[in-house]
Amino acid sequence: MGHAYGRMKKMSDMAAFSFRVEDMATLEDSFLADLDDLSDNEAELDESDGDDAKKDEEDIDMDMADLETLNYDDLDSVSKLQKSQRYLDIMQKVEEALGKESDGTEKGTVLEDDPEYKLIVDCNQLSVDIENEIAIVHNFIRDKYRLKFQELESLVNHPIDYARVVKKIGNETDLTLVDLEGLLPSAIIMVVSVTALTTKGSPLPEDVLHKTLEACDRALDLDSARKKVLDFVESKMGSIAPNLSAIVGSAVAAKLMGTAGGLSALAKMPACNVQVLGHKRKNLAGFSSATSQLRVGYLEQTEIFQSTPPALKSRAGRILAAKSTLAARVDATRGDPSGTNGKALREEIRKKIEKWQEPPPARQPKPLPVPDSEPKKRRGGRRLRKMKERYAVTDMRKLANRMAFGTPEESSLGDGLGEGYGMLGQAGSNRLRISSVPSKLKINPTIAKKLKERNYAGGATTSGLTSSLAFTPVQGIELCNPQQALGLGSGTQSTYFSESGTFSKLKKI
Amino acid sequence: MESVLLPTLTKKEEIDRIINNTIDKVLVLRFGRTSDENCLLLDDILEKSARDVSKFATVALVDVDSDQVQVYVNYFDITLFPSTVFFFNAHHMKLDSGTADHTKWVGKFHEKQDFIDVVEVIFRGAMKGKMIVHCPLPPERIPKFQLLYKDV
Repeated sequence: MGHAYGRMKKMSDMAAFSFRVEDMATLEDSFLADLDDLSDNEAELDESDGDDAKKDEEDIDMDMADLETLNYDDLDSVSKLQKSQRYLDIMQKVEEALGKESDGTEKGTVLEDDPEYKLIVDCNQLSVDIENEIAIVHNFIRDKYRLKFQELESLVNHPIDYARVVKKIGNETDLTLVDLEGLLPSAIIMVVSVTALTTKGSPLPEDVLHKTLEACDRALDLDSARKKVLDFVESKMGSIAPNLSAIVGSAVAAKLMGTAGGLSALAKMPACNVQVLGHKRKNLAGFSSATSQLRVGYLEQTEIFQSTPPALKSRAGRILAAKSTLAARVDATRGDPSGTNGKALREEIRKKIEKWQEPPPARQPKPLPVPDSEPKKRRGGRRLRKMKERYAVTDMRKLANRMAFGTPEESSLGDGLGEGYGMLGQAGSNRLRISSVPSKLKINPTIAKKLKERNYAGGATTSGLTSSLAFTPVQGIELCNPQQALGLGSGTQSTYFSESGTFSKLKKI
Repeated sequence: MESVLLPTLTKKEEIDRIINNTIDKVLVLRFGRTSDENCLLLDDILEKSARDVSKFATVALVDVDSDQVQVYVNYFDITLFPSTVFFFNAHHMKLDSGTADHTKWVGKFHEKQDFIDVVEVIFRGAMKGKMIVHCPLPPERIPKFQLLYKDV
């Protein structure tokens, strides 16, 4: 019996995996254990009606096709915790301890020997177990209630809320008769009522309904038991983990310890895990998830976190997690029973948050730089080279600048007047091949237009109205235009139909 | 706006010390008294631009009514107040602003920028090794005064 319960516990771990951040080691162990258990399945649990119960919990994570195998009937086959001896023992001790005053000073040098500490450790473990148990019961309720109202499970995520809602609704089809005030936020109530109108479920048969309600009661009982246990732990927190409770407060410290599964377990966790312990998956109901990205769990409820301005909340969460992890480590080794370390850490956190909120120092006008101390930054590169090309000295100009020795230079107006031609046009200076690289020189736009026009007269794509014929009164039609040779162009070639012509008169309206 | 008051010097040792200790920076010494209106205007401009030129100049005020300072007053032949004398590395810098007296600047500056320009020109000239520099200001911005020679 006890042996079977032991196995039950590991499987319940695995079942609850999808709901909570858990220690990876137990998952591996539970996989290994399950491999053993599969063969021993029927031999062990023959008192349960639904002998598919064990397998069901293994498959819980996903086989929707096996829907019929998940119809186990008996709640007790699913959730055994409340009947177990361990549970009853611990609950009894907690009731006792809550009743009487604590004796305080009786602490052993080693934390682990203290009987109260043992109780706390057991309580922590129990609270984790209760959570897992609640998850299992939640699954049970969900599977039964799915026939009635399938969408409810995705609208109400939290197991206890779900149980309360199911209890309230019962077998009712018309949700206007059901008052969900106080159980859920009003937005969710609205969505639930609307979805209930279009749900394709049907009311449950009487016995199924009875079982479901029983399961709901069981879940709520478990929840209240867990609360009791956590309250007890919280009241003892000051003596168990003084440094941690100095930083985050005893309620949050108890919750953290409870979820982690003990003080040493909490101490072994890295700070990033401590930060998200207890993080609830919120139901978005169509709202964007881009706004509330805060990754904080129970630490959200600490006084320090609540009092920081929203802009600094993510940084505050991180520093809280880091320092509380340090404090938990101090407490796990019982390094500082008085809690001064915790107080110092709390002070440090407070100072840091204050510093973040300081306005930046006022800008002083910069003094002028020392004259001539900074050399001019000359730029180089492709862009500058391309720009310089436009004003570069061309080969023609270079030739014109050069002069031959002993020979007088030719000039534009002759006799030394006008511009000198230099080596330009001298015999022997012409190149055999003329490379046609398009000149990158900067040209005056009006001159550029004239050049373009001249080129068009001999180009392949001339307009249909230009002609290389010349109509003269004396010779009639000429094939080549003599005026063109002179460079004057045909008098009949009007600029009206010119390719490169523009509007001659532009007036702004 | 930070306005640390410019140091006012009253003793000969202080003046000596500041002249010798200002290295690679122009030293601007204003000789004047605080009761004079022109002096106050000049002081205002000096204070405002002291931070801006702080990388290449130091500004100090000398109170001309103190008796230890009269040595310098006679040495530099200061008769009109306020007068500003420029030094660089303990060497007296001269400024040709079109007036008769090149050894000092007499009167106030029209604007903060004028003062900064003058100091910059002095700095550049001094770094090149010149002893006298030409004033960059247009003549209308330069206060005119009459040099009295033996009360003539």
